[in-house]
Amino acid sequence: MKRLINLVVNGESHEVAVSPEQTLLEVLREELGLTGTKKGCNQGECGACTVLVDGKPVSSCLVLAVSVNGKSVSTIEGLSQDGRLHPLQEAFVKYGAIQCGFCTPGMLLAAKYLLENRPKPSEQEIKEAINGNICRCTGYVKIVEAISAVAQGAAL
Amino acid sequence: MAEYTVVGKGLPRIDGPEKATGRAVFTVDLKLPGMLHGKILRSPHPHARIISIDSSAAEKLPGVKAVITGKDISAVRYAFVDTPRYPADERPLAVDKVRYIGDEVAAVAAVSEAVAEEALALIKVQYEVLPAAFTPEEAVMPGAPVIHENTLEGTSAWEDWGAAGRAGDYRDEVDINNASARSAISFGDIGEGFRQADHIREDRFETAATAHCALEPHAAVASYDPVNGKLDLWLSTMGIFLKRFVLSKALKLPISKVRVRHSYVGGAFGGKIDVFPYEFCAAYLSMKLGRPVKFELDREEVFTTTRQRHPITVNIKTGVKKDGTIVAQDIKVYADNGGYRGSGAIVVFLCHGFSFPIYKVPNYRYEGIAVYTNNPIRGPQRGHGAPQIRFAIDSQLDLLARDIGLDPVEMMLKNVRHKGDILPNGDRLTRCGLTEAIKGASEGVNWAAGRRQFVSGAGTGIKVATAAKGSGKDGTRFRRGVGISVCSMFSGAMYYPFASAAMVKLHDDGSATLFTGSQELGQGCYTTLAQVAAEELGIGLEDIRLVAGDTELTPIDLGSFLSGGALVTGNAVKLAAADARRQLLEVAAEILEVRVEELGYKDKQIYVRENPAKSIPYGRAIQASIFRKNGNPIIGSGSYKGYPETDRYPSLAKGKGLFTSAYGFAAQAVEVEVDTLTGKVRVLRAATFHDCGFPLNKTIVEGQVQGCVSMGMGQALSEEIVLEKGQLFNASFLNYRLPIATDTPETLDDVVESLEPNGPFGAKEVGEGSVAGMLAAVANAVHDAVGVRIYSTPITPEKVLSALEG
Repeated sequence: MKRLINLVVNGESHEVAVSPEQTLLEVLREELGLTGTKKGCNQGECGACTVLVDGKPVSSCLVLAVSVNGKSVSTIEGLSQDGRLHPLQEAFVKYGAIQCGFCTPGMLLAAKYLLENRPKPSEQEIKEAINGNICRCTGYVKIVEAISAVAQGAAL
Repeated sequence: MAEYTVVGKGLPRIDGPEKATGRAVFTVDLKLPGMLHGKILRSPHPHARIISIDSSAAEKLPGVKAVITGKDISAVRYAFVDTPRYPADERPLAVDKVRYIGDEVAAVAAVSEAVAEEALALIKVQYEVLPAAFTPEEAVMPGAPVIHENTLEGTSAWEDWGAAGRAGDYRDEVDINNASARSAISFGDIGEGFRQADHIREDRFETAATAHCALEPHAAVASYDPVNGKLDLWLSTMGIFLKRFVLSKALKLPISKVRVRHSYVGGAFGGKIDVFPYEFCAAYLSMKLGRPVKFELDREEVFTTTRQRHPITVNIKTGVKKDGTIVAQDIKVYADNGGYRGSGAIVVFLCHGFSFPIYKVPNYRYEGIAVYTNNPIRGPQRGHGAPQIRFAIDSQLDLLARDIGLDPVEMMLKNVRHKGDILPNGDRLTRCGLTEAIKGASEGVNWAAGRRQFVSGAGTGIKVATAAKGSGKDGTRFRRGVGISVCSMFSGAMYYPFASAAMVKLHDDGSATLFTGSQELGQGCYTTLAQVAAEELGIGLEDIRLVAGDTELTPIDLGSFLSGGALVTGNAVKLAAADARRQLLEVAAEILEVRVEELGYKDKQIYVRENPAKSIPYGRAIQASIFRKNGNPIIGSGSYKGYPETDRYPSLAKGKGLFTSAYGFAAQAVEVEVDTLTGKVRVLRAATFHDCGFPLNKTIVEGQVQGCVSMGMGQALSEEIVLEKGQLFNASFLNYRLPIATDTPETLDDVVESLEPNGPFGAKEVGEGSVAGMLAAVANAVHDAVGVRIYSTPITPEKVLSALEG
């Protein structure tokens, strides 16, 4: 039996009929067409599906859609405003923190959460904040540089 | 040195904003109207004969549109290598036998993934389980189970392209049970070489099977138009033209009726170049049903049933003079290619290909044997053979240096090749930055100060010679040491489609569109190729748009494997842009009434050099071309071969022929810290000096090297496919330990700018080589730190601890 839930995604309210076993990731990608959130492993191990639920990062492949009824979800599609990139997005582009781009959406949301809760993190804190997000391309060096640059308010 | 305005700069990637905002479309993101979902039934047995398959219950399940088995497509055969010597041995779905756990048995197309999955459970397969072999040692034994007993006949796909060499039965040449391929190469006089040696040692090294771990799972979407007989494919792939070639043959469609269309690839690392059963099945089912069909593998399937790096055993015997000069080297390699040949024939060739460009060895013998086992299939992975062979050669070089009391850096410098050397197969090292790379990397870890200088004493245990300089409170628990290794990689080779071509179309606002068949998989080719075109045209990177990764819209391309992107495709793009510029200048010369030679160009203006005020903007010249030249809007074209001086690909079995027109080189040094209480090794610092000729984009080059360092470190310390009787035990990111952010060492990466004359603006390979040096560098550093030698990767705490206690 499908259930009707209300999801506020990037500030927009959606009424969605979901099956009890559908994950938030599936609903975002398949019902709402928000394919910026990626499915890398579907086991909660890679972080590619990271989104923020009420401001906190979750692996959306492990969250049942029914359990976020009425909650607010932030995905990568909501990070830039009015066509302007978020400072983290700008830094990722400028510092070469993006290669294949598959981990990027999740990585950016993990970084956003970090900087909102710890505006001046140490390098070690940055690494710990993205430890749940696997990147096979970059070796993490430029991702850490990009996040660090935003934290230090570098002119982008 | 020439002053460039676009190439050589660390410009931001042109695909960056699309990827940063989640708008970039990957194959897994595609959803077409009416699209069906496919799933594959796989073998639970490592080796079994298929007695019967009953799919009737699955076919009756509501929502199931089709079920296919090997019987439906029994004539289809393909493989990464398909020559008369090595005929293709893979089938999309098993016909007679299954040869590893995960082998494809049946495929279902249904209205949803869930229904397709349910259908799989309804397919009844009766197997006769057969004895199996799980190591090359077992498999080559007389009386071992024969994994491929059938003689495969028929023309090979490659014969169209001149692969048919001499006639004859090649199989007699490998008279070893279950051998799938053999490469044997020698030069000099191996016996005489060892007689000249003052010191000889023989060692055995082993490397683990490893996983690529591209974040985007393998996927394919196929959409067949029955009216026009045309098949559209979206594949997560590294080479759209190779896939088109193999799939069009397998599907018996004219090559022009198969179109591979663009989608971004979420990482590949070598693991997305083979043609896979799910790709064939997506196409076949779409043709059968007239509806789009999508297959997306789950993570366990990606780990198990796509490809892994070959686990390899290297027996290596080397003779040196007292001064460290290598006089003889005898290498024997066994590669486990799993249930099908995969790239077995290539990896045993490449272990030679990445051995011999580094040290001058006058007397050399190499034999590489690839062996079938009932393990998962092995294929190309970043460096393809280089990590394995460099681990063996440079681990042993470090041991040899210790034996004779030399510094390994000194010994490397004494033996490495130099600019101008001609390799035994005829390849010329027009440039070679090995010496500078070794000096740079060793200084990068403070070699002289960091080295603990263990000297092995006559086969007895190692004594800790000096007080530990570790950072542990007790001063001895944590010990540090340094190690170094060197590596090389091709910059493209003669492999289908043997060349890259490109087109540059100019627009009447002075901008340009670049058409290239290369495929962006993270390596940054769209950006670097656009930079090459912009530089050559004298316009900015922002003036270039790109049409890429589509077999219908772009000319052929070698593909993003064998590291030919910068050199081969880069040259094609440069030539195409130069062709467009030439046409543009000709029009301008006509308008300005001067000779072409008198013209200069800058900032989208063409001017007379003697009188710069006399000028015309690009846009106006292009408009004029349309008026004056029968509407010619100026389209430049260019092409470049994988190896311009040959029209054949090298013999895999004999190592003859030209391999590559430029070798990329790198030296990698690391400082490690070993916890003597737990055996855990941590890489503190990694210094890589890569001779990439010229960095077309500094940021992208650094990113490639940093990615290689991380992957190489993972494979040195923790990454390993764990198999037990053919069953994979760690098919998940949690249990397959690849590096995470906090594992990142302090990295120093620099390039040696050797300016390769064959490369565009001097560029050559950068994306693969620097995985390979990390393995021996770490092993040597561990030896330096705690005096024990680990002969196999990964260098786990268990191995270190047991060596320390032993």
